[in-house]
Amino acid sequence: MGSSNKKKKEKKKDFQKAKLKVGKAKAKAANFTDTSFKSKSIVVNQQTVADEDLDATEQFKQNLSLAVNSKSDNQRRDALAYLTNQISAKPPNNPVGTSGVLTKVLPLVSDSSAAVRTRLLALFRAMPPSEVQPNVEKILMYVRGAMAHLAKDIRNEAVNVLEWLVEVAGDEVVSCPGGWLKTLNSFSSMLGWNPSVGVSMSVKGWTTSIQTTLIVSKRIPEAQARHIQVLAQFLAAGFRAEKPTSYTPQAYWDNIYRLPATPNPFGYLNLFGTPRDEDSEMYPDRASRMRVFDAKWRAAITSGMEGAKKEGGVVGRSAATLDKTLKGSLDEGLSVNICG
Amino acid sequence: MPKRKVAALEKVEADLASLQYRIRRDPKSYAQEFYDQWLAYDAQRQIFMASPTTASNDDVKKFHDLVDLVAHVADLYPELTAAYPDHLKELLIRHHAVLDRELREKVVGSLVLIRRKDVIDSTSLLTTLFPVLISTPSKSLRSLLYAKIISDLRESNSKTTNHRLNRTIQTVLHNLVTSDRTSTKGMWATRITRELWRRQIWTDAKPCDVMKEACLSDNEKVVVGGVRFFLGGDKEREQMEDDSSDDEVDIKKVKHQIEINKKSKKRQKAVERALEKVKKQERKKKAPHPLNFSALHLINDPQGFAEKLFQKHLQNTKNRFALESKLAILQLVTRLVGLHKLTVLSLYSWFARYLTPKQASVTSFLASLAQGTHDLVPPDAIEPLIVKIANEFVSEASASEVAAAGINAIREVAIRQPLCMNETLLQDLVQYQKSKDKGVVMAAKGLQSLYREVYPELLQRKYRGKEATMGLRSGETKQRKFGEQEAGGIEGIELLEKYKDEQKAKKLAEKEEGGDKADDSDDDGFNSDEWEVGSDTSMSSGGWINVSDDEDDEPATKRAKTDSEAPDLVGAEKLDVSEATSLSKLATTSILTPADLLKLQELRMEANVDKALGGASKRKKELIQRHIDEGVTADDIELPATLGKKTTKEERRALAADGKPGREEHKSTQAIRKSKKEAEGKSTTNKEKARKKNFLMTLGKARQKNKRSLTETRRALKAHVAKAKSGGRRANGVSAN
Repeated sequence: MGSSNKKKKEKKKDFQKAKLKVGKAKAKAANFTDTSFKSKSIVVNQQTVADEDLDATEQFKQNLSLAVNSKSDNQRRDALAYLTNQISAKPPNNPVGTSGVLTKVLPLVSDSSAAVRTRLLALFRAMPPSEVQPNVEKILMYVRGAMAHLAKDIRNEAVNVLEWLVEVAGDEVVSCPGGWLKTLNSFSSMLGWNPSVGVSMSVKGWTTSIQTTLIVSKRIPEAQARHIQVLAQFLAAGFRAEKPTSYTPQAYWDNIYRLPATPNPFGYLNLFGTPRDEDSEMYPDRASRMRVFDAKWRAAITSGMEGAKKEGGVVGRSAATLDKTLKGSLDEGLSVNICG
Repeated sequence: MPKRKVAALEKVEADLASLQYRIRRDPKSYAQEFYDQWLAYDAQRQIFMASPTTASNDDVKKFHDLVDLVAHVADLYPELTAAYPDHLKELLIRHHAVLDRELREKVVGSLVLIRRKDVIDSTSLLTTLFPVLISTPSKSLRSLLYAKIISDLRESNSKTTNHRLNRTIQTVLHNLVTSDRTSTKGMWATRITRELWRRQIWTDAKPCDVMKEACLSDNEKVVVGGVRFFLGGDKEREQMEDDSSDDEVDIKKVKHQIEINKKSKKRQKAVERALEKVKKQERKKKAPHPLNFSALHLINDPQGFAEKLFQKHLQNTKNRFALESKLAILQLVTRLVGLHKLTVLSLYSWFARYLTPKQASVTSFLASLAQGTHDLVPPDAIEPLIVKIANEFVSEASASEVAAAGINAIREVAIRQPLCMNETLLQDLVQYQKSKDKGVVMAAKGLQSLYREVYPELLQRKYRGKEATMGLRSGETKQRKFGEQEAGGIEGIELLEKYKDEQKAKKLAEKEEGGDKADDSDDDGFNSDEWEVGSDTSMSSGGWINVSDDEDDEPATKRAKTDSEAPDLVGAEKLDVSEATSLSKLATTSILTPADLLKLQELRMEANVDKALGGASKRKKELIQRHIDEGVTADDIELPATLGKKTTKEERRALAADGKPGREEHKSTQAIRKSKKEAEGKSTTNKEKARKKNFLMTLGKARQKNKRSLTETRRALKAHVAKAKSGGRRANGVSAN
């Protein structure tokens, strides 16, 4: 009874004419749009991908911005691929310069999408080594950040980036401020060979607990082997004997009158930066690197390596490589000492 | 940039919040994970510090999250995170202007958090936040920092007063005010000091000193801040105290509710909280009242302060402060002069310029003048001002409000210094009681009644009144000379003496009745109980216990009897002598016990009650009521002018609407109540529910009713009648049988 009445009324309503009343505002139409609001900014949801009427420079810049800012994984990946193509073309097309590209894309080292990270590594590999070398310190910061990331995949990918960096600019990597000790810190925390954590959380009782935490328990042997391998490469770069520079009679005068050819030539003086602690200090030559390594890390890494060797398999093999590197460093260190 | 979507993989593992939870639960096992995050934090920090202005949104976001994580667990790994507080401080102090807003707030929040976890101490927190507070251009950051600073100071003073911290901060504020007197930075010092004063966290002289320096600043805002503190800070403090004691919990109601309602942990907690609150309040009631001095009394060297304030801001013709600020300053100066009885003679001659009816807010000037007068001001200094007020304000030609205000102002001044008046002027002014305007009449009568008491000779014979004339004839009313002070004593001591004599007489009478019943053991032994206020029952209960009260006087009387030279104070034969000397010697010859003091207070109260009921003159009552700390306001001066004026319709309407529920639209009282109930989240009554019930749902019952048999109908009707007899379902007002 009630409902049918209601339905009847509802049906009628559609055909009723709205009554106009004196002094009352006219009723709003059904399709009325409220435009009374104000906004300070307008957010555009979509970005144009039209590229017909853009010249090469603009297109490059657009892709660079897309690679960094786009919300879609695929778009980021594609933009990175475009950048790689442009940079590796002959002659390379790079209107913003390598360091400009690097500043923009470095945060992508810890990107959530695996495809983007792979593409990023390809982009890095396409960059000319000579232009990467001045930016090593900055790259290392991001790599270290990614190496301590919570997600496993990002950590693994970061090691790949580090490997590339060691290949391209090994000397700079180990000698830049914080490049030696801080990177070793990151490695040790990745591998779980960590003396400092043990000290800070020294167990007071007589029992000891086996490490059963996230990282250790979920460690995949392949990944660990890779980490150890890259660590070995990194250490090898650090322990590499410096080539004595051949004597040039011009060198003395160059030193006095020529502008230095390397970036930040007086960096070791740290004239304008904040005071550095032991970890973020520069270790520019082999001897000083050896010294701090022996003092802080040799024992921890050796014991970790022994454990890894006993595991055998992939891990054991890469541990053996590491062992070789360490031994080599010892021999060379001896030889250096004997020579000196 | 908006937040990027988190991939599924990240959701599982890369969740800092869950990591934080796990670390907090088991810090030892997750040390490795924390160390990783510490490294990540360090790397992000380096990235950020390399170029704080150009850091990408992504980096800022990451850094923000890591700062948050480390702050929450910093107390668990003190060695690893030793550098963390310094990082935050450096970040905030050096880059607060360019930091991203969210990150900035996170840094401040993290600093406060690690302070709460006792990783850093209050001093280092406050010395970090304070410089940022006074230098940042961002309003939101300022308000955040201000709130954090106040809450931290409150917290560190909550259990015991942290004197060292308070001293440090007060010194910082003092330096802030005195270092650069022209800048507005002193505002923050005044704001913080005022807030802490209001909350009774700072109650000593040091904050007053900070405010004093603020008053002597060159910046108008700072000066006004300081001045307003002295004028209103104490009142604010009292109000705050009243407010906090207002919200009382009805414990009975709470207990009843928990019985009725469904039991849940939440409700149980609410009850516990209520109980705790009640306990706290009771403890507070029993606790002795904190002896808080008003800020005006705590000022060091008020004479110097008042002089400096007057010379710097008022007398100085180059001063360009707004009139309102100047008035506030004047109010403070005169208040100080009146309260501490200071002598600032140039003040009175300065006033002359402003005492014309055309001067803006002249009533405030008049009030200030009255406030700045006391009995040690030379009458020569005020007399010209009185004459000027009379000439400018009080004439037949001037408006009645103006005349009333003028006469009232003269009266207010004369209350404080009656010698400022000359005979002809007074006689002239008193005659205004013949005026047609009620306000003027009242003001003139007020002046007359004042002079009837203090200086009747000045009045014409016919205006003196009966009492004053009789007093003059008997020589009772004596004219006090300039600077003469009333000899002081302990107020009400004669009452106590009288009371003691009565008790003594009573006891003597009882002794005579009881003969040798009196036990000597009680007489000679000094009962220590009577020293204690709490243990003495004689105060609260009736007379017979009071017998014990004068036992502690026994040794004195005994000694007095043996030694004839000593004055026998309580002896009945010498009573008239002690009455003749106006000063009682009780206080100078015996030690008053706490019980005595309590009795004294009681007697004093009784006497005051008598005075208030009648006997005492209007003026005295007024003086009793008005506390010395409260100054004269412009309202006091304007008051008689408002007498006899009809209020306008709007005013009456506003008066009527005051305190009633808001009625924006036309609505019935019922509807207002209902909406109020709904807003409070309360349900409807059963009756209302029944009324609103869907018609179709009631149909079945109605049909059933029709189908009832005769007996069933009869039963129902009978029950209905019985119910009605017993007063309805709820038995309203009728007993159940």
